[in-house]
Amino acid sequence: MKIKRKAIKKFLYNENVAGFICASPFIIGFLVFMIVPMIISLYYSFCDYDILSPPTWAGLSNYIKIFTDDSKFIKSTLVTLYYAFVSVPLRLIFALIIAMMLLRSSKLTPIYRAMYYLPSIIGGSVAVAILWKRMFAMDGVINNLLGMVGIETNFSWLGNTSTAIWTLIILAVWQFGSSMLIFLASLKQIPSSLYESANVDGAKKIAKFFKITLPLITPTIFFNLIMQTITGFLAFTQCYIITQGKPMDSTLFYAVYMYQQSFEFYNTGYASALAWVMLAILGLVTWLLFATKKFWVYEGGL
Amino acid sequence: MGKKLTLLLVCILTVSLFSACGKKAVEEETGAKASEVVTAEETSTTADEKSLVFAWWGNQLRNERTQTTLDLYTTEYPNVVFDGQFAGWGDYWTKLATAVAGHTMPDIVQMDYSLLRQYVNKGLLTDLTPYIDNGSLDLSTVDAGIVKSGSIDNGVYAVCIGVNAPALLYNKTLLEENNITIEDNMTMDEFIRVSKEVYEKTGYKTNIAYNLGDSFLTYSLRGQGISMYEDGKFGATSAADFIPFFKFYEQGIEEGWHLTPEVFAESKKASVEQDPLVYGSSPDVRSWSTMIFSNQLTAMQQAAPEGVEIGITTWPSEDPKASNYLKPGQFLSVTNDSKNQEEAVKVVDYFTNSIAANEILLGERGVPASSVVADAISKLMDEKEQLVTEYINKVVTPNCSPIYAPSPEGANEVSVLLDQLEEQLCYGVITAEEAATQLFEEGSKIVESK
Repeated sequence: MKIKRKAIKKFLYNENVAGFICASPFIIGFLVFMIVPMIISLYYSFCDYDILSPPTWAGLSNYIKIFTDDSKFIKSTLVTLYYAFVSVPLRLIFALIIAMMLLRSSKLTPIYRAMYYLPSIIGGSVAVAILWKRMFAMDGVINNLLGMVGIETNFSWLGNTSTAIWTLIILAVWQFGSSMLIFLASLKQIPSSLYESANVDGAKKIAKFFKITLPLITPTIFFNLIMQTITGFLAFTQCYIITQGKPMDSTLFYAVYMYQQSFEFYNTGYASALAWVMLAILGLVTWLLFATKKFWVYEGGL
Repeated sequence: MGKKLTLLLVCILTVSLFSACGKKAVEEETGAKASEVVTAEETSTTADEKSLVFAWWGNQLRNERTQTTLDLYTTEYPNVVFDGQFAGWGDYWTKLATAVAGHTMPDIVQMDYSLLRQYVNKGLLTDLTPYIDNGSLDLSTVDAGIVKSGSIDNGVYAVCIGVNAPALLYNKTLLEENNITIEDNMTMDEFIRVSKEVYEKTGYKTNIAYNLGDSFLTYSLRGQGISMYEDGKFGATSAADFIPFFKFYEQGIEEGWHLTPEVFAESKKASVEQDPLVYGSSPDVRSWSTMIFSNQLTAMQQAAPEGVEIGITTWPSEDPKASNYLKPGQFLSVTNDSKNQEEAVKVVDYFTNSIAANEILLGERGVPASSVVADAISKLMDEKEQLVTEYINKVVTPNCSPIYAPSPEGANEVSVLLDQLEEQLCYGVITAEEAATQLFEEGSKIVESK
């Protein structure tokens, strides 16, 4: 008995085990809420499942249908790709510009920082999405503002296929605050001695930016790019609340299409297959980004 | 100083956390709007006390009245507590489907005719015949046809709690101001003529049940003697049967008297409060009419701007008698997941037969199915509600045919397809003929594959 207790004590005091125990809430949560559902979803993707009755095995038929018989799949993938590859660079560019402007610390800098960061905290919420929808309505704030500047219009931003996606893109770009803070941090890390020696050599501002600043923050840009692209692909709330894919599927995000298939048409097996295809696509995009890394990301230390 | 400040802040945060939790608990009890996952009822500690989960969809008015009725039931039977959960139409079915997957369906659910067959086929609803036979569910004062409408294969799975009919709600004030008159049972040509007149005189446009699913299509087809669905597939024999329906939209958009789809992009689907009949700041985003169902007159009148009176008449059709029907508006069903089925059946019986309950509900879901109750509350109804009862009894009942059979599985998906085709048609991307062909071909595939 005493030996057993000693052995247990020794086991528990082992550093690795202590680490595991401390991390166990996360591990359990991760397993239960992420890994197990993912495996179940993989199972469903090979079944015919309509939520209301048990799943029946259907082999690869869902996947075959996705790639041969589904025009909405292609449309939503294209829309999501467009959204991700337009909103992410725009967002990063804005974040970088504002971060550069906020480098020079003045008394108002903390206030500006808070102001610019605020949208990214509240932006993802349902309330802001509803507000956004109202803003871009035909008699909404945007058209009224344009009226004040002299452009009388009641253009329907949300009803027009070419502009509807931009309301969503602008909403995403508006939330650049979090990227801006990360850029600020990495910009501050660039030693001023580099700028000083550039000044001695007579370099102009633009040269300094492109030859010193930009190369040294490429790791941060890369990180932001990967994270934001993944988030962009998974966007759901804004689309679901503001446009639900209208007009004519020009704003149909992949995640919303999955939701529709699963909960409005009761084709949950098919929706699970869609989810795994999305995983594959995302994996491919991320792999591509990593593969191009060595061409433009400056890995060397400062 | 720093330490004290930190301590103070921590105390404030903790207190606010607790108050937030408390508030949330109270809100949950009164069934506030929240998109929580539907949870199964819990059997509480005292043997007698039962907690029933009752889920329904509706508008603001219905939510308030139903909640009051449930409270009334609890005062009469103090051992029964309710967790009333409501949502908008679309969200309701999503929540319910999730609950089905988790085997946590509410005890009592509001059920709709279009999804009844699907839910019964999956074995989710309780057959109420034994309860009718032993008297706990008294349907003696309900018309036999209405009881039958909630039956599938000789089992009664749903009890109708409101009789509706398709109703064209219109802006009576606007028409009177411009000396335009309409009559009941108008044809489609008359409807179009009136729409054009309204557009010319006032700039108000029309809304032919845009993106509201297949109700109007079914209605129109019935006027031509065709069923929407027959034996699990389309009743129409070719795409040509669908063309007249799509032509209405094509004509309306071309000639300008039908609302453009952009208007609908900005509002929530099937929301009474955002219907172009009552919502919108300029005539070109407003409609003089809307095609919904009779029980929504009161809610629509409430949502209407000051001074606007809403009138009620029939949907236009080539043959009103063949098209029009009495619809069991909503049903109440008891689910097989329920652990208190007898109590749940009692509640259903209460909603059907209790005069006190219906004095609160006042036919917001439709004219009460029980004739005794309908008579008893008629004098309590306000002007609008009496108008609805009158509409059902005097205009529709003498001039209608039996309702179509419950829709087959996949009808939901076809409805969404129809909405999309309407959208594409109204944006001018496809023609009416193309829309009809696509609906026929793809729709047949969907319905026949289920």
